[in-house]
Amino acid sequence: MNPANPTDRFDISRWRKLPLQLMVIGAVLCIIGGLVDAKEFAYSWLLAFMFFLSLCLGSLFLVMIHHLFDAGWTVPIRRFSEHIAAMLFPWMALLFIPIAVMAKTIYPWMNPEHQHEHAVIAKQPLFSVPMFYIVSAFCFLIWWLLSNRLRHWSLEQDKTGAAGPTFRMRYYSGAGIVLFALTGTIAVVLWQKSLEYHWFSTMYGVYYFGGSVWFTLATAYLITVVLDRLGLISDALHEHQYYFLGSLMFAFTVFYAYIHFAQYFIIWNGNMPEETYWYVLRERGTWWYVGMVIIFGHFFIPFLGLLRIDVKHIFTWMIPLCVWAWLMHWIDLSFNIMPIPHPQGFPFLSLWLHFGCWAFMVGLLSAVFLRNYNSHPPYPIKDPRLVEAMGLYHPVPTQISGGELGEADDLRDAPPQFRQPAP
Amino acid sequence: MTTAPMPATVPQTPAELERPLLVANLRSFGWISNRVASLSEGPAPLWWWILFVPSFLALCLLGFCVSYQISTGVGVWGNRHPVMWAWDIVNFVWWIGIGHAGTLISAILFLLRQRWRTAVNRAAEAMTIFAVMCAGIYPALHVGRTWYDYWLFPIPNSNSLWPQFRSPLMWDVFAVSTYFTVSVLFWYMGLVPDLAVMRDRARTRARQFLYGIFALGWTGSNRHWSNYEKAYLILAGLSTPLVLSVHSIVSLDFSVSQLPGWHTTIFPPYFVAGAVFSGFGMVLSLLIPLRKIWKLEDIITMRHIDVMCKVTLATGSIVGYAYSMEFFIAWYSGNPNEGFHFLNRALGPYQWAWIPMVTCNVLVPQLFWIKWFRKNLVAVFIISILVNVGMWFERFVIIVIGLHRDFLTSSWAYYKPTPIDIGTYVGTFGLFFTCFLLFIRFLPMIAISEVKGVTPQSDPHHPLGGAKVAESVPDED
Amino acid sequence: MPDALTKPYGMIAEFITANSVLHAAQAVRNAGFRKWDVFTPFPVHGMDRAMGLKNSKVGWFAFLGGVAGYTTGMLMIWFMNTVDYPIVIGGKPMFSPFSAFPPSYELTILFGAFGSLGGMLFLNRLPRLHNPLLKNKRFSLVTHDRFFILIECDDPKYSEVETRKLLEEAGCRHIELIEE
Repeated sequence: MNPANPTDRFDISRWRKLPLQLMVIGAVLCIIGGLVDAKEFAYSWLLAFMFFLSLCLGSLFLVMIHHLFDAGWTVPIRRFSEHIAAMLFPWMALLFIPIAVMAKTIYPWMNPEHQHEHAVIAKQPLFSVPMFYIVSAFCFLIWWLLSNRLRHWSLEQDKTGAAGPTFRMRYYSGAGIVLFALTGTIAVVLWQKSLEYHWFSTMYGVYYFGGSVWFTLATAYLITVVLDRLGLISDALHEHQYYFLGSLMFAFTVFYAYIHFAQYFIIWNGNMPEETYWYVLRERGTWWYVGMVIIFGHFFIPFLGLLRIDVKHIFTWMIPLCVWAWLMHWIDLSFNIMPIPHPQGFPFLSLWLHFGCWAFMVGLLSAVFLRNYNSHPPYPIKDPRLVEAMGLYHPVPTQISGGELGEADDLRDAPPQFRQPAP
Repeated sequence: MTTAPMPATVPQTPAELERPLLVANLRSFGWISNRVASLSEGPAPLWWWILFVPSFLALCLLGFCVSYQISTGVGVWGNRHPVMWAWDIVNFVWWIGIGHAGTLISAILFLLRQRWRTAVNRAAEAMTIFAVMCAGIYPALHVGRTWYDYWLFPIPNSNSLWPQFRSPLMWDVFAVSTYFTVSVLFWYMGLVPDLAVMRDRARTRARQFLYGIFALGWTGSNRHWSNYEKAYLILAGLSTPLVLSVHSIVSLDFSVSQLPGWHTTIFPPYFVAGAVFSGFGMVLSLLIPLRKIWKLEDIITMRHIDVMCKVTLATGSIVGYAYSMEFFIAWYSGNPNEGFHFLNRALGPYQWAWIPMVTCNVLVPQLFWIKWFRKNLVAVFIISILVNVGMWFERFVIIVIGLHRDFLTSSWAYYKPTPIDIGTYVGTFGLFFTCFLLFIRFLPMIAISEVKGVTPQSDPHHPLGGAKVAESVPDED
Repeated sequence: MPDALTKPYGMIAEFITANSVLHAAQAVRNAGFRKWDVFTPFPVHGMDRAMGLKNSKVGWFAFLGGVAGYTTGMLMIWFMNTVDYPIVIGGKPMFSPFSAFPPSYELTILFGAFGSLGGMLFLNRLPRLHNPLLKNKRFSLVTHDRFFILIECDDPKYSEVETRKLLEEAGCRHIELIEE
């Protein structure tokens, strides 16, 4: 661990054009898809949008719990999380425009012939066209406020290292976690669950949240590895960051499975047609196999893969698992969205279109991310908790120093400034 | 191992963000032993007797109510059609919910490396065990013919019957008995090194013998500590899903049915959050007075209280989220039965139970956003009591309001408890407090060896731990 | 048995700080002793490495316990509700991995917990009713605030003079011989 050198910049010379290439390829495929089959394109776009929305919301969550828990070890990974969260506005809002335009194609309840059904009338005024746009705009407004303010104060702290911004960020996180829970739930209800407006489950918001954070942690692990290899945040890292990210990912693997099992199990046991039809639809055709892939691939493989303590440090083991998490989260979301246009089975034939939407968004978002990331210090260089994250000596035992697991025996002795008088 | 000096660019922590020490005033190892162990030595203080006598009398009341109920039948309770689950199940869920803080503190906070837990985990685990004991009484009585309780277990019997494992009530049997057993194992395992402390301090033969037997010959050998810490970690890893599963399974007792207000998918995590919430309420209610009476302010510092208030706030808010989701989905589903049920909760004849539920569980804990409330022990104590009151009402609302107006309007009724219901409930308090008072009298109520491990001088790299400042540590190859 | 009482068991050295006992343990280990141990009032971090201890094997006991618990649960429920006493309840299947999951899961945890506690006690050879160390007055401070190193006389490298010298060089102030 050498002295921190925050003047380093991300060197992407070989891959510099990749985001642009992905964007172009994606845009071409999207245009072709839109011309060939507008409906198919709309659902593919929605799926890709919900996928990246979960990453941005998950990152916002990581930033907020850092402040709420007064955590130390998360400092080096906080900056890129802030940048990802800050893409919620305007970038995710811009990506929402096609959904807003094609809402009538996507959402069956907007169709006039369904407007007189009890299930739609009961949901008035929420399930009316103006409210759809008002609530969507409100969600983006809240996310903009939170992600923007949190990043702003974090960057402010880079200048002075004073305590004030920390308290500001805690203030936004405290109010933010409540707003996050409400807006996240309403957004996923309105944009994803309302595809089947007859169906209802109180767990749905938590379910989307669980999968999102799991996927975000996998992404954070990948980004940390890349930034570490580039030497950008290496000074601020201790190997515990990998361990903790891996452990949290393990915890969320179990949490997601717990949530999804509970939802399925209660519906299965209650056996009421108004609820079970959602799963019945997903046991038809090839969707049944998709369900099996989720059980084994979304839970058992990562669960067993992350069970051992030591694997969380082994990049050759963790990186494939994290990439696998991307695939699984995408399949999980497609299990939620795609049976609407394709009740007969998984849409293998339109995978090219899914790739197009995905490539366009990943290209755009990574270009934005890189631009933002490169124009600011790579980690919060003056954060008061940075010393803990680095695994340097500090007077009070916290997560890294003196952990119960006896893994912290490589800590250095105290430097002179921490000498305390004997009692 | 390198011993490079502190990098010059590492920011200094501003004074207002310094983390306070977990054991205040730089207390020594010996002080911790003396302070904690002396609480269970010498004659019992007067206040202990003042609390013990009424607790024991209440325990006698429990004995009376239970005997009367067993000899007469469940009709002595107020359970009447359609409210066939009433105070018995309300109190069962309430007590078992309280029992969740202990395992949360000992297991989940251990895995999360929240080292402040060491100061409160012993008392919280004891509380868990006694609360689960109180909880276990109710289902055992509720079955009516208590002498056939063993049918609940897969024991071969003369009728060649086996339990029916598709019923959530059977899952409950397994969940609660496993929870009790594992909590006792965990608690006892944590106690072993501290029983050795008590053994080595004991002056009388009887104490030496008894503490000696239960300390299992513990010497503090590092070869033992190595296995011990691993076993502790594994028990924590096993207890973490256990604590989530127990209240999830309790929630399944309700949610696998088809009753409005019971059948809802968010029940498992919502019940777990509620259980932790009420458990922390009880931990605060118990520890704030004990800390004061026994002058444990250096071990259970204001930081500990502050953190526990925040956990209460977090879990209370999750409960609030679940309440709002229930109402939202009742409206969203368009199901008239769901809609009626939730209106009946808020506006029906049991409104007097719904209002304190929402107030105590969701609104009052929000005061903990404000630092003043977290720093004021009287306020914390009052709020912690209100949390327990609110959580009792929550179970009452779910169970009684869920049942008293079912699908058939002709069978609607208004449930009232009988004096035996009340007596049994008061009696379980007697059991709980009798056990708890005996615990704090005879066993170290704070994990002595664990608290020693979070002091600065326990860290070999700390100046107080004997490390020479800014000097190289010899290589450990 | 007067003979047994005079038989030496080992040499204990007392230390006051965690750091000094940690360094002394490294010295003892580097000197190549086998039958020795460190005694502390609480687990000292880094001591396992200083002593050269391998990762504890408790995990295997817990794992086997867990596997046994899950298997027992599933087989028991399948046998009871499908083979020995089948009865239709609510149109549900006789055996379903879903409804058999909660009790089997609890048994997994239960047996795993017994495995880890039992494994810990077995590996530590506890409970132990007699231990020569516990007869020593000074040693009883190990649960209070002192740290000890024990080197057993059975160790091939043990020699009254050399071992004492080693411990004194490691910074120990008080050395005692313990009798069996």
